[in-house]
Amino acid sequence: MKTNKLLKIFLILATISIPSFALRQNEIEPVMHSKIEKVLTVLKKKESNTIRGQEIIRTLDPVFDYALMAKLALSSKTWDSITSAQQKEFTRLFIARLKQSYLDKLDLYNNQKVIYKGVKPYQKGRLQLQTEVIGKDETYKINYNFHNSKNSGNWLIYDVELAGVSIIQTYRQQFAGLLKEKNFDEILIQLREKQPSKAKQS
Amino acid sequence: MNARKIFIIAMMLGYTNTFADTAIENNSTATSIISSSDVNTTNEINTSIGNTASFEEEFGDVNKTAVFDPFSGYNKFMTNVNDKFYKNIADPIATGYAKILPEKARISVNNLIHHLRFPIRLANNLLQFKIKNSAEETGRFVVNTIFGLGGLFDPAKTDLGWERHDEDLGQTLGFYGLPDGPYIVLPILGSSNLRDTVGLVGDTYISPLYSADADNICYKIPQNTYQDVLIGSVEVINKTSLHLGEYDLIKKDALDLYSFLRDAYTQQRRQKIKE
Repeated sequence: MKTNKLLKIFLILATISIPSFALRQNEIEPVMHSKIEKVLTVLKKKESNTIRGQEIIRTLDPVFDYALMAKLALSSKTWDSITSAQQKEFTRLFIARLKQSYLDKLDLYNNQKVIYKGVKPYQKGRLQLQTEVIGKDETYKINYNFHNSKNSGNWLIYDVELAGVSIIQTYRQQFAGLLKEKNFDEILIQLREKQPSKAKQS
Repeated sequence: MNARKIFIIAMMLGYTNTFADTAIENNSTATSIISSSDVNTTNEINTSIGNTASFEEEFGDVNKTAVFDPFSGYNKFMTNVNDKFYKNIADPIATGYAKILPEKARISVNNLIHHLRFPIRLANNLLQFKIKNSAEETGRFVVNTIFGLGGLFDPAKTDLGWERHDEDLGQTLGFYGLPDGPYIVLPILGSSNLRDTVGLVGDTYISPLYSADADNICYKIPQNTYQDVLIGSVEVINKTSLHLGEYDLIKKDALDLYSFLRDAYTQQRRQKIKE
């Protein structure tokens, strides 16, 4: 009886501590393929934006290293110069912003096809999944950059590049520019203000 | 080269890299989703601080990677002018145009414009020794002229899988090592830099869609400035009509529109030159 109980506790603990999702190197392409296709299927559904959005979040959340993205978008130097409360608040607002920004674009989706070009080695032992989206008049290269997260042992996305434009790099430059004119709290206010006004419009 | 391109890119950036949180409409749900991911996030941040140095190397020092922009005063002014032009002229006209002409027809107009720009692409592919691409471009031109009703359709791509290889003189100059030079915002066309502006002048000279030196170059379609403006307007309006609503999304997205357009343009051009 006692061992049984212990075993149960052990099993429960084990289940909790095992990450719900683990992406190994050789799984990047098939997993991303199925996730992107799932997103496209969800987009075609005739559901409300709220339901479709939640489903897409559930599909894609596990492969993105949001925390790292927030820090890199700000640059480590600025990150280290702010308080941990500011870091938390920034991360929360930045992630919400990324998600909202994606939401805004859902309506533009128009049956574009995605082509998978495979996973290639990228800088410093990182990997890049290369894809192409066939648009109305042009083909856009979309690359997902993965790093091997020490925390979880998973490969996670830390940046996305479209036609050579890195989302993190453009944010870094924007924040660096803003920091010349404003202090960090004012930037947080700007990020905060952007959220509700968008929600009203959507 | 084209302002629209940057708009599209910026649009797609948001489109691809983030996730829909459609629940924003319903505020309470949205907050719960975001804050739950926030919990994991903050835990991870505090433990992963050590390994971001290699990422900082990848992205570079923000001050050193900043775009060379000595004319920022003029550029900001012109970005504003272009913004007003888009909002009050290009967008309303393109919206009306899109209502009259079905999308398939507008895509055909777009195909035709690209088709006629063939000399620019061929010359610049050759100048960069891209022989296979030059051959494919020539093949595309022949196939689309004959089987694509003179370029209105793109059977070379849809049936044979021969993609268009966009190359311009700005890229060629970059290929030979010429740096970007200062960032310049052009009227209507938007983001550019000194190198690409010089390239644009060269490309325009050999473009069949612009009358420069029409007496000596036999394939020129417009014969005078009036016709140049007419063709140019159709080009701008047609292109805008295929990307309605995208610019507004970028404006909503960008924390600082000016620096966003500038950096996105610069990154995109550097990547194109590398390829």
